[in-house]
Amino acid sequence: MLSCHPSLDILTDYSSGTLPLAHALGVSVHLDQCPHCREQMRRLNNVGAELFAEQIIDSRPEHMASLKSNVLAAIANSDQPVAHSKHESEQETVFQHIPRSLRRLIPKGFNELNWMPLTPSFKLATLSDEAGGPQIALSRVKPGARLPNHTHTGNEITVVLKGAFSDDEGLYREGDFICRDHNHKHQPRVTKDAECICLIILDSPIEFTGWLTRFLNPIMRYFHPNKGNALPS
Amino acid sequence: MNTVSETTVDNTLLADMTQVAQARDTRALERLFDHYAPRIRAFCLASQPGANLMADDIAQEVMIRIWNKAHLYNPATASLNTWIFTIARNARIDYMRKNGRYQSDIDPEEFWSEMADENADPFREAQQQRDQVRIREGLTHLPTEQQQVLSKVYLEGKSHSEASEELGLPLGTVKSRVRLALNKLSVIIKR
Repeated sequence: MLSCHPSLDILTDYSSGTLPLAHALGVSVHLDQCPHCREQMRRLNNVGAELFAEQIIDSRPEHMASLKSNVLAAIANSDQPVAHSKHESEQETVFQHIPRSLRRLIPKGFNELNWMPLTPSFKLATLSDEAGGPQIALSRVKPGARLPNHTHTGNEITVVLKGAFSDDEGLYREGDFICRDHNHKHQPRVTKDAECICLIILDSPIEFTGWLTRFLNPIMRYFHPNKGNALPS
Repeated sequence: MNTVSETTVDNTLLADMTQVAQARDTRALERLFDHYAPRIRAFCLASQPGANLMADDIAQEVMIRIWNKAHLYNPATASLNTWIFTIARNARIDYMRKNGRYQSDIDPEEFWSEMADENADPFREAQQQRDQVRIREGLTHLPTEQQQVLSKVYLEGKSHSEASEELGLPLGTVKSRVRLALNKLSVIIKR
């Protein structure tokens, strides 16, 4: 049983479709691994569905008739959907530890991503950087390593994909969903038995607070899509 | 509200859906269209008042998706209303994304999709129907202010903070009204 789940507020925003896309991706990765939250989501969707079904409708019949004939014309020209032709077994090894929701962004497995080493034990790979939006990235940390002391300048969502890490508030395992706000300052440490890969969604760049690791801050800002005028000079 | 006759409507729609999936029956799709397309339009207009072209586009798009994805519908994992609501919601998100200020390479259909639950058993189908009826009845008994926040969030697609701005209420009040409503509808699972 996972111990860290998205809050009910976040799940409701996901269900109603109001959660920013990048955050929704994080929730979805958690849902892939958490039957409990899937059941909660199913129930929240039911609420939306009944509100949807009970709406007062006001459409002109002749207008609807013309839309209907467009739909019928479109399906008459469309072919049956093709079944997936990929070899399932081959896919399974590549996709070990990669939840369904992330497979399009990590099509060839973790090792084929463009990893940028930030410290000897900590690498980062950007998955998507929508201009002006949050950064979606993977962090990869060696077994037993400590991450440099850092603080978050915006909200940060972390979903553990492989391995485990801990900080002063607890231990986080595969599938756990952790949401931190900008007041949070922490120093995560990866467990000794295995490397740890996490999906991270950053509203704004992480800031390292250690005296030696401060030099990373311009780099973190540079790689965040929301860089504005924070380019390293 | 007459729940008995609504259940009959649900069953007729479900039979039509089965016809679409198994017999590729276009007449059955037409009946689904008659019921759902106006609701999809209303759902779009709730979030973008006056955006008739968008509402027409999305209504057609969703009906085409229903036709193409019919074989994926499983009554044991979701009521038909829920399945179609999630498709409409995703289509609305996708439309906003494609026409939005920022281009994003994340496609909501990739992950925000209807969740396929492998472990669904046929016994769940009856459960789905009971949940649906319970929520439908529960909604009519909610205090107006709770109904109002739920429809802001689910139909108008407003975030909690947008809803708080529009209603002139503190954010905490909006959140607690949503929670109270969900609690009354008994949809919250205790951990």
